[in-house]
Amino acid sequence: MGYSGARGGQEAIAAAERLVRDGRDGGATPRLGVDQVIERLRLGVDRVMGEGGLWAPDLAARAIRQAEGDVQEAAQLLRAHRSTLPRLAYSEPVRAEELRVVRRISSAFRNPPGSQILGRTLDYVGRLLDLMPDEAADAPPAAAAPPHEGHPHAHTHTRDEEDRHPPRLLGVLRNMDMLVERRTAEDPEPYDITRVPARPGAPRSARLTAMARAETGALVHLWYAYTFDPLKHGHEIPGEVRHGWLPVRVAHPLTGNPVQVARVRATDVETLDDLDRPEEDRTRLDAGYGMCFGHNERKAIAMAGMDLLVHRDGGRTSLDQYVLVTLDGIESAGFLEHLKLPHYVDFRSTLDRKRAVRKASREAAAPDRAPAHAGGAS
Amino acid sequence: MTVLTELGGPDTAPGIFDELSKREVRRAALSAVAVPGYQVPFGSREMPVARGWGSGGLQVTLAVVGAGDRLKVIDQGEDAGVNAANLRRLVIGHVGCEEETDARAATVTQSRHRIPEEPMRADQVLVLQVPVPEPLRGLVLDMREQRRMHAEADYARMWVGLYEDIVRNGVITRSAGYPVLVEGRYVMSPSPIPRWDVPKLNGAAHLTLLGAGREKRIYAVPPHTRVEPLTFDDVPFEVERTEGARCRHCGNDDAYLVEVPAADGTALWVCSDTDHCGRFRAGDTEMQGGHQ
Repeated sequence: MGYSGARGGQEAIAAAERLVRDGRDGGATPRLGVDQVIERLRLGVDRVMGEGGLWAPDLAARAIRQAEGDVQEAAQLLRAHRSTLPRLAYSEPVRAEELRVVRRISSAFRNPPGSQILGRTLDYVGRLLDLMPDEAADAPPAAAAPPHEGHPHAHTHTRDEEDRHPPRLLGVLRNMDMLVERRTAEDPEPYDITRVPARPGAPRSARLTAMARAETGALVHLWYAYTFDPLKHGHEIPGEVRHGWLPVRVAHPLTGNPVQVARVRATDVETLDDLDRPEEDRTRLDAGYGMCFGHNERKAIAMAGMDLLVHRDGGRTSLDQYVLVTLDGIESAGFLEHLKLPHYVDFRSTLDRKRAVRKASREAAAPDRAPAHAGGAS
Repeated sequence: MTVLTELGGPDTAPGIFDELSKREVRRAALSAVAVPGYQVPFGSREMPVARGWGSGGLQVTLAVVGAGDRLKVIDQGEDAGVNAANLRRLVIGHVGCEEETDARAATVTQSRHRIPEEPMRADQVLVLQVPVPEPLRGLVLDMREQRRMHAEADYARMWVGLYEDIVRNGVITRSAGYPVLVEGRYVMSPSPIPRWDVPKLNGAAHLTLLGAGREKRIYAVPPHTRVEPLTFDDVPFEVERTEGARCRHCGNDDAYLVEVPAADGTALWVCSDTDHCGRFRAGDTEMQGGHQ
């Protein structure tokens, strides 16, 4: 009887595991090193840490290797690993100004205070498949000449610390009195969605946390689907897209003073939208916020856009609920994959009802032969 | 001064679940027992199985079993299925309890989609895996409205839905996971057990805990609780039964049977509860057949 034969479930899963291990860890090429995955598959590692909700490049790289490159499966491995660790402390809040940028762009101003820093980005690397033979690519690269060498305006300086901490654009816009006030005192402590399930009506911090852990593709899809709302004209403009390092501090168990224990890389986005609905403040803009672990601009921009969309929806639709309960990749994939489990018992029950409906309609067609308790409409 | 590691609780076997999380699950389970049929939200943890593969049942089982327990794990009534085998080895590897297939000897039974045929006793606990705990989901999408309906016991739409079903189809077409009213108060989804198993919950001697991991809810049917399938006075509740069907292995016609179709459209039937089937064949069961 299919895959749940008489005995041997245990043997079958052991054999399946062996096939996975042999295929993944055997083969003709050298085993993939964790450091290689971290260095060469950086964006995959970042995505897994973001969706897994755990900053741990080493563990994320292991997860990617174990999952044979399936980033969603790798994120599930990180999540399950989280469950084995006790929650010892909460870190202290960090202000967004503390982000030490390695990249910072604004789509809103040509010259925002603090300047634009293009940084490491694939945006302007030609989207052409590199067909250089591996032997040529493996040759040690020639030392790159500094840009514009010998030119009177040679760019030889490195950026100083001040450049790494540009003023946030939100502050600039507030000084210009161009922003509606979204900050409230109603949501002082971040809502911990991993300890208290978030339901519609949960505060904004719950939504932001849910989106920070969301599956990138799901978030982009939802943003894309809702961004063409007939009530909405145009799209938002990211005031700032930043990628950089944030300190992690916890209260010292003895002194109570905050001490930095780690730092994490994050992508942080403030996005601006015109308020163009009749009931909205037509003299100002509104801002949405997005942030996630690692370098994942697609996700952070979609998240900032969704933050705005949900706020402007104001409970008119179920958008709030969609954001809270449908974006988690581990949950949606898990439910989908459970369809592969046996459903013999409920399938039989469904067939039973199909036959019952037929019997009822036959009896209704021949009422004089129907027993007293046909349970049917007469 | 508390040292951080002390806050982490006693050392446990590595993997799966830390001790503080187990305590949280136990607190939720106790709340669930105190309010039969009410879905208690809890901080469901990710388990080393996909969400939807029994992560809720697994958390509940891990929170209630100890090293001295005898654990039975079944999926579709079978001990030997791959999913049951996988969950069993996870729990046993973590807790070190004994593996059991005899429903009478098990102290804790985790199950997906079935309640064992053998009536359970007061010293046994049944843990059911739940994919979708909300019985109102098919009626209203909005979770706020679902909560309001439960809070006010406003189940009018549920009744109207069942009535419309009869008007359109002549019968109630709800198949597995038939909605029940628990102790006259909460409408509850009993998990996708067949209707055949629903009467076993009514006034049962044992405790049933239902865990929905992905949905982050735990609920319970404590011993000796009224569990009534929703139906009308003049429309009797119908369990799955096929005229003339009996198990090809044990010959029993008073157990939940699943179909084994042949290519020509005919079908044979076999028991879904493989443990009970084997003992029925050997004459090793107390069951006289209790279903109508």
